[in-house]
Amino acid sequence: MLSSIKNQMIAKAITRFPSLAERFLAAYQPVRSEGVIPWSELGKPLRTCKMAVVTTAGVHHDDQQPFDMRDPDGDPSYRELDGTTIRSGFTITHDYYDHTDAERDLNIVLPLDRLDELTAEGLLDSLSVRHSASWAILTAATYRPWSKRAPRKLPASSKKTRSIWCC
Amino acid sequence: MGLIQREIERQGIPTVGISIVRDYTEKVQPPRTIFLKWPFGHPLGEPGNLAQQRTVLLEALKAVKTIREPGEIIDLPFPWRRYRYSVEQMASLD
Repeated sequence: MLSSIKNQMIAKAITRFPSLAERFLAAYQPVRSEGVIPWSELGKPLRTCKMAVVTTAGVHHDDQQPFDMRDPDGDPSYRELDGTTIRSGFTITHDYYDHTDAERDLNIVLPLDRLDELTAEGLLDSLSVRHSASWAILTAATYRPWSKRAPRKLPASSKKTRSIWCC
Repeated sequence: MGLIQREIERQGIPTVGISIVRDYTEKVQPPRTIFLKWPFGHPLGEPGNLAQQRTVLLEALKAVKTIREPGEIIDLPFPWRRYRYSVEQMASLD
C-alpha cells in the first residue's frame, strides 16, 4: 500500500516535471530487440481499413480485474476493451504516471472519439469494437513468457482488423 | 508498447505506435513510430484539446503510409504547450 502511494506520488512529479523522469526511466529499461524488425505491408487504402487500438495506459472496464501494481517486472496481462462501453465506464490502474488527465478525457490515451470522427469523414473504413489494454513494463523476466502466449491472445489482432494504433 | 506492436505486426497486421519515450522506442524497435516529447500519460495531448488529438492521429495515419523503413521513428515538432492547432480537414489520406 505504502509502496503504491509512493509510486503514485513519484508518477505525479515526473508527469508534471519530465526532467525528473530520467532516474525512473533508467530503472525500467525495456528488453532490447534483436534480429529482423517485423513488417506487414498495409496493402490497401486507409479508407478501406478497420482500426483497433492497443493502449498501455492501464485502462480497463470497471468490472475487470485491475492490473497488478505489486510486480516490479510489470503485469504482462491484457484486458479486452469493448469500444461501445469503455468510454462510459472505465478505471485506470497504473501507478507510474499521473492519469488525472486521462480520467478527464480518455481520448488522450484511447482516442476512440477522435477515430470515430475520422471514420465518419471517410478517412478510415471503420473502428473495431474490440481493443486491448495493458500496462506492461516488460522486462527480460516477463517478456519471454508473455511473447509465447501473446500472438494467440491479443484480441485486437483479429483477421478482419487491418491496422492498429498503439498508444 | 513496442513489444506488443512487434507481436501484432508478426501476425500480419500493420501497426503504428505513438511514443513519448524515444530511448525506449530505439531499444525496442517497433515497425513504425511517431514520437512526441510530451509528458507521461499524454500521447494524444491534453484533455479536451480536440484539434491537438486529431492532429496527432492524422500524423500517425500518415506515418502508416510514409514509413517504408522498419524501425523508423518520425519526430513530430509539436511543443507540449503554447501551440495553436487547427482542425485539419482532409479529403483522403490515400
